[in-house]
Amino acid sequence: MGGGTVSATQAPGRAVNLPPSSAQPAGPWARLRHVRWANIGLAAVVVGYLAWSLVPVLIAFVFSFNNGYSRSIWQGFSTQWWTGPNSVFNDPTYYNAIRHSFELAILAVAITVPLGVSLSIFLSRWRGVTSKPAAFLSTVPLVIPEIVLALAMFFLVTKLLHFVTLGTTAQIAGQVTFILPLVIVITRGRLASIPTGFEEAAMDLGASPLQAFRLALIPLLAPAILASAIVAFAVSIDDFVITQYMSSTAATQSVPMLIYTATRGTATPALNAMATVMALTTVVITSLGYLLYRFVSRREQVPQFAREETPTVPVLVEGTA
Amino acid sequence: MAGGDVQLKNLCKKFGDVVAVNNIDLQIASGEFFSLLGPSGCGKTTTLRMIAGFEEPTLGQILLDGVDLVHTPPHKRPLNTVFQAYMIFPHLNVYENIAFGLRRQHVSRSDIRERVGDALELVQLQALAHRKPSELSGGQQQRVALARALVLHPAVLLLDEPLGALDAKLRRQLQVELKALQKRVGITFIYVTHDQEEALTMSDRIAVMNDGIVEQVGTPREVYDEPTTEFVADFLGVSNMISADATPDGSGACRLRVGDFTLRATVGEVGSRGAVRCVVRPERVKLEPYDATGESRVPGIVEHLVYLGSATRVVVHLATGQTIQSLVQSDGMELTYGQGTAVQAYLPADAVRVLRSAGQPGVQLGSGDGDVLAGGGPGEAGHPSQQTIEGNVR
Repeated sequence: MGGGTVSATQAPGRAVNLPPSSAQPAGPWARLRHVRWANIGLAAVVVGYLAWSLVPVLIAFVFSFNNGYSRSIWQGFSTQWWTGPNSVFNDPTYYNAIRHSFELAILAVAITVPLGVSLSIFLSRWRGVTSKPAAFLSTVPLVIPEIVLALAMFFLVTKLLHFVTLGTTAQIAGQVTFILPLVIVITRGRLASIPTGFEEAAMDLGASPLQAFRLALIPLLAPAILASAIVAFAVSIDDFVITQYMSSTAATQSVPMLIYTATRGTATPALNAMATVMALTTVVITSLGYLLYRFVSRREQVPQFAREETPTVPVLVEGTA
Repeated sequence: MAGGDVQLKNLCKKFGDVVAVNNIDLQIASGEFFSLLGPSGCGKTTTLRMIAGFEEPTLGQILLDGVDLVHTPPHKRPLNTVFQAYMIFPHLNVYENIAFGLRRQHVSRSDIRERVGDALELVQLQALAHRKPSELSGGQQQRVALARALVLHPAVLLLDEPLGALDAKLRRQLQVELKALQKRVGITFIYVTHDQEEALTMSDRIAVMNDGIVEQVGTPREVYDEPTTEFVADFLGVSNMISADATPDGSGACRLRVGDFTLRATVGEVGSRGAVRCVVRPERVKLEPYDATGESRVPGIVEHLVYLGSATRVVVHLATGQTIQSLVQSDGMELTYGQGTAVQAYLPADAVRVLRSAGQPGVQLGSGDGDVLAGGGPGEAGHPSQQTIEGNVR
């Protein structure tokens, strides 16, 4: 306004224009979006973390192709630890450990998932007075350190319960004890979001309570059932503490146990090959599980429990009364 | 469909110490469109859930065509429900949702195809048979829920605020459709709603519920025009409430002292004596020039006017210190009064209805005047309860 005159057309125009800052989202982090180094920093942390956790794994994988007995000095490429007389598959100890680990994992999944799902259905659909304390108690093993649980179980098995002997039975009992709460936590979370109305609708349409569970609840619960199976499998195959405490002979040695003891002694790159086999199988199985999970929950892009139209409070038009 | 006669006898439901449904007696005729109307928490949904079998009555009987259903589990009751949130199974498509009940009855494949087809046609969803529920709009989901229940040819259809989740325009449209559908299929509908307009439009009869009890049962016209309790008068439409001192004059009428003025009432509980509450609908309040004389007139000053198009709402501050509403129909003429004009409010004797007061049969014992009012309108906080004459605008 250098000239000192304000034209009539300018003033309203200026009043209408909002300052550009008002269009930006509010909140303490809104400004960070525009700072480029924040993006760079975030990327660096992510890449750094991935490198830190994956590069050693890759190195271990690479050393399984070492042409020599060292697991730290590269002596040239060879597949002797993968095929042939020295290979991991030809060593009964290694082969047995892999087989035993998978046995334990499959059994753990087969027991914890049906048991945990039924328990959580019972806990969330049962209105009894003890359901809340029971729900709380069922998750207690989650916060008890595994080593404490293992010691307690060891005492239980060796001194009190003589029908459970150390070995596969005790290992399964131990793993089930601490995997079950995980399954319960996962399925209860999902159950809480499923209104009881679906079971009621099923019963209303003539389904018996059991059919209502099978036909209305279980399909809705499927993603959680699958997720808990994946978690149970991964936790079981990775478990060391309880599996170690509950083991008896070399026949009940799992892969983590073998790796732990072997690294203390004189291990060959066959150990690296075995670790790679375990890692790859776990990755493949959990990925398959994840894909299945995506398939099972694919129809849920639209949250079926939310209403599409916002419920409107009936407004009586004035004068129509 | 023959049958479908429902009778509720002394039905009670307690949740812990809370009495949700308090001694309900209702007789619902076969083929009737019967509504349970009331504010949230009045026990209407609990009543419906007891009929469906999802809640067990603490006391009482539920008779369907004379047979007590109380100990029959929900899946064996010959009635079906349309749920408020529809509860369409998200893992099944429209066709399978509708076929769900038929499959439980082991109906043959070809019969299922035929009956599901008929049901789809009934709700005009033939084109969407293979859609997943997540691909349907709210109105379409509502129709699937309806078809899923009707395909089983129930004796009674229970509907729990089935239009509650829809927007106002769609709701109006579906009200008409639902009523027409009920006429066509001839099944007893028991319809739960908190929307008085919905209940008035659709029902053959309405039970107005409050605080676990049935306040009044009647046709839409009866409950609107002839409310017997203050709650009913207040819940349905706009009402002027008047506190007065009644003396019966022995000739089927009643004299009412309101402050320094006298009114006459010829409808309602005209035999009452002592403190009573009366209701006058705004459309029955006539406004006359200040020099008009005669009984049943109270002078006042026009406080403000609200032009509504087809009518004008006039709020008058009466000489008794209270305000009263009058609804004046537009007849093309300009009103002879404006804000600040002194007028006479004429309350014709046949427009002043004396209500049943607390303590009389039908009203819960011990519920004071203020309690009845506090339970009044949904979402209407700070309800004035001590005014002698009120204009309750909703």
